[in-house]
Amino acid sequence: MSGTLSRRKFLAASAAVTAGSLAAPWVARADAKEITALLITGGPLYPKYWEKIVQDFTAKTGIKVRYDLLEFTPLTAKVVTLSAARSSQYDVYSTHTAQIDSYFNHFAPLNSYFSDSELADFYPVAVKYLRDPKTGNLAAIPRNMDARVQYYRSDIYQEKGLKPAETWEELVDVGLKLTGNGHYGLVVPGQGDPAQRTFSDLLWQAGGDWVDQANKPAFNSEAGIKALTFYRDLIQKHKIVPPDAVGYQWNENSTEFSSGTVYATFDWPGAFATLSNPETSRVVGKWSTAPYVRDKAAISCAISHAMALNGQSGRKEPAVEFIKYTVSKDAQRLQFDQFTNFPSSHSLAKEVIAAAKGPQATWLQQLETTIANGKEWPKLAGFSKVCTLMFSAIEQALSDQASPADSLNQAATEAEDIMRRAGAYD
Amino acid sequence: MAPVAQTRVSGRRRRSPLPYTWQRGYLLASPALLVMLAILIYPLGYSFIMSFFRWDLSGSAPFIGTGNYTDELFGRQFNQALRNQAIFSVVSITIEVVAGMAIAVLVNGKLRGMRLARTLLLVPPMIAPAVVGLNFRWLFNTQYGLVDALLRMFNLPDIPWLTHPAWALVSVIVADVWQNTPLMVLLFLAGLQSLPQEPLEAATVDGATPWQRFWHIVLPLMRPVIMIALMLRIIDTFRTFDVVWLMTQGGPGGATNLLTVYSYLLAFQAVDFGHAAAVSYIALGMSLFVLGLLYGVPWLIAKRRAI
Repeated sequence: MSGTLSRRKFLAASAAVTAGSLAAPWVARADAKEITALLITGGPLYPKYWEKIVQDFTAKTGIKVRYDLLEFTPLTAKVVTLSAARSSQYDVYSTHTAQIDSYFNHFAPLNSYFSDSELADFYPVAVKYLRDPKTGNLAAIPRNMDARVQYYRSDIYQEKGLKPAETWEELVDVGLKLTGNGHYGLVVPGQGDPAQRTFSDLLWQAGGDWVDQANKPAFNSEAGIKALTFYRDLIQKHKIVPPDAVGYQWNENSTEFSSGTVYATFDWPGAFATLSNPETSRVVGKWSTAPYVRDKAAISCAISHAMALNGQSGRKEPAVEFIKYTVSKDAQRLQFDQFTNFPSSHSLAKEVIAAAKGPQATWLQQLETTIANGKEWPKLAGFSKVCTLMFSAIEQALSDQASPADSLNQAATEAEDIMRRAGAYD
Repeated sequence: MAPVAQTRVSGRRRRSPLPYTWQRGYLLASPALLVMLAILIYPLGYSFIMSFFRWDLSGSAPFIGTGNYTDELFGRQFNQALRNQAIFSVVSITIEVVAGMAIAVLVNGKLRGMRLARTLLLVPPMIAPAVVGLNFRWLFNTQYGLVDALLRMFNLPDIPWLTHPAWALVSVIVADVWQNTPLMVLLFLAGLQSLPQEPLEAATVDGATPWQRFWHIVLPLMRPVIMIALMLRIIDTFRTFDVVWLMTQGGPGGATNLLTVYSYLLAFQAVDFGHAAAVSYIALGMSLFVLGLLYGVPWLIAKRRAI
C-alpha cells in the first residue's frame, strides 16, 4: 500500500469528513438517554453547582447531560443566535424573564409538563411573566427569584445617626449627609438594562406603569416623568451618586459599594454572599439591609432565572425531566446554600426564611416582601425592541442631553410604532 | 482496451475549455472552495436576504421588501448612529493620517533613540482592541482615572469623559487614534524608506527648504501609500466595535453609537435581525461608496486631464 495521498483518497477523505460532520447531529440525537444543555454560570462556584446537579440527576434517572456554561450576556447572545438558526444543538436553555418575549415561538410550552398544583407553588409573579400573554403558554419555569433590597453601610449610618431611607425624599436627605470627601451617599446604575430596571422601579413607585389598559405606551405619563426626573436629579442635581454612574451597569454598581466608596445601593440577592466574602468585599461586617425605597407605592421588579425547553429539541421528554430536576426543591435548596439565591418555590422560601437567623433572616424577609409586591415590564410583541429604545431614552435624560419629558414622549411615540408593527395590537 | 480509454480521455480534453492541469487544480481546491462558500459567501447572502424580511423570532418572517431599509434610513436612532459614524471616521482618520505622517518623517530621521521608537510603535497595534477599550475606560473614569487625576493635579476641572455625550465621542476617538496611528506610522515609514533619493537630492541642491521638499516631492511620491492607508482605515472605522462597546456600549444615550454597535444592539438586544442586517448592508454600502469616491474621483480627474 502506497504511503502517498492520491487524489482519489484525498477526495474520499474529504467526502467522509463532510458526511460525518453533517450526520453528527442526527447520530447524537439518536441517543435518547443523553441530552444537551446551555446553562448559566457566574463566579467560581457555579460550575461546581451544575456539576453536582447533573451528577445527581444522572444517578437518579440514568439520563446523561452534556452541558456548556456561559455567563449571562454571552448566554443571551448565543440563545438568540441559536433560536434564529432554529438550532437543535441544545435541548435545554437557561433563560431569564428579561427577554423571554423574544422566545415565545422558540421555546416549547411547558404547560402540559407541570400540573396546576406544581405551578401553584412557584411565586405567581415569576410564572405570570414567563407566560406568553397571547396564548397563555408557559415559555420557561422559574429556577430562582431576582429582586433587590437596599444595602447600606450600617457602621457609617450609626456614626452619623442616620437611618436607612424609606422614601424618595429620605433617600436624597440621607445621601446629601453622606456625600463628600470622595464618598457618595448612593449609587445607581445608569446604562442599558440596569438603567431601565431602575427607571422601571421608580415608575411603579411613582404610581405609573409601562402600558395602559389598551397596551399603549404609558411610561411618559406624569408619574413616568416624575420618576425619570428624580432619577436624573440623583446624579445631576443632588450629586449624591458618582458622576460616572451614567455609564455604570450592575458590576460597577456593586463594586462601588463593596469597595467602600459609596454608602448605599439597591442590589440583587447575590450581593449578600459577595459582600460577606472578604475576597470580594472591603466592607464585610459593616453593612446591613433595608427595604427598597417607596414613593406612592412600594413596588420594584421581581424577575427570575428560569429553565426552558428548546422547541426544536428531538428529546423533549428527558429534557423536561432535567428541567424539572433543576427547579426541584433539592436543587433550589442547594442553590440557596451555595449562592443565597432566593428560591422560586414559595413553600421552600418559607422554609428557608423560617430557618434563617439574624441579619440573613431580616434580609430574606425583605426580599420576600419585594417579591410579593413585585412586577415586571410587559411581555408584549416588540417590547424587547422597545427596551433598546428605552436604554437610549433614559441615558439621554440621565446625561442631560434631553429633558425627561422630551425623552419619554419621543420614546413613547416610537414604542407604539414598534409594537404595532410587531403585532402587539393585532 | 487501453487505447480506447486513452482516446476517450483525449476526446474529453479537447471538448473542455480548460486544460487538464487546471481541471485537476480546481478539483483539488474544490473542498476548500466549498468550505469558503459555506462559511463566507452563504452567511453574506443569507443576511442580505434576511434584510428584506421581518426577521425577529416572532415565528413568521414575512417579506417586507425594502421596509427595513426605509425604517432605518428615516429612523432617529439610525441617523444618530450615522452622524456619529461620520464624525468618528472623518476625525479619527484625519488625525491618524496627519499624525502618522508627521511621526513617520520624524522617525525616518537619523536622531538618537529612533530604533527604540520604531520598536515601541509596534506595541499599540499588537494589543487586542478589547484590552484597549477596557484600559481607556479606566483611564477616562472621572473618579479613579489617570486622566482626571492629572487634571486635578494642575487644578483643572474634571472632564466627564465617558458620561457627557460630546466628550464620550472624543474619548472613543482618542482610543482609536492611540491604537491605529502607529500602524499608519509603520506604513508611511516603509513608504518613505523606499522613495527614490535623486529628486530629494536635486531639490536640496536647488535650495529647497525641508518643508518645500516634503510638500512638493515627498507627498506626491507617497500618494499610493497614503491611498492604501486611507483605504485600510476607512474599512476599519466602519467595522469598529470592540473599543466602543467596552468603553461606552454606544452611550450615553446613543452618543457613541456607531453603525456596528447599533446593528449589534438591534440583533442581540432587540432581537430584530431584519433591521440589524439592513443596517449592516447600509454600512457596507457606505464604506464602498466612500472607497469608490477615494479611487474614482482622482481617476476621473486624471482621465479628464488626459482628454
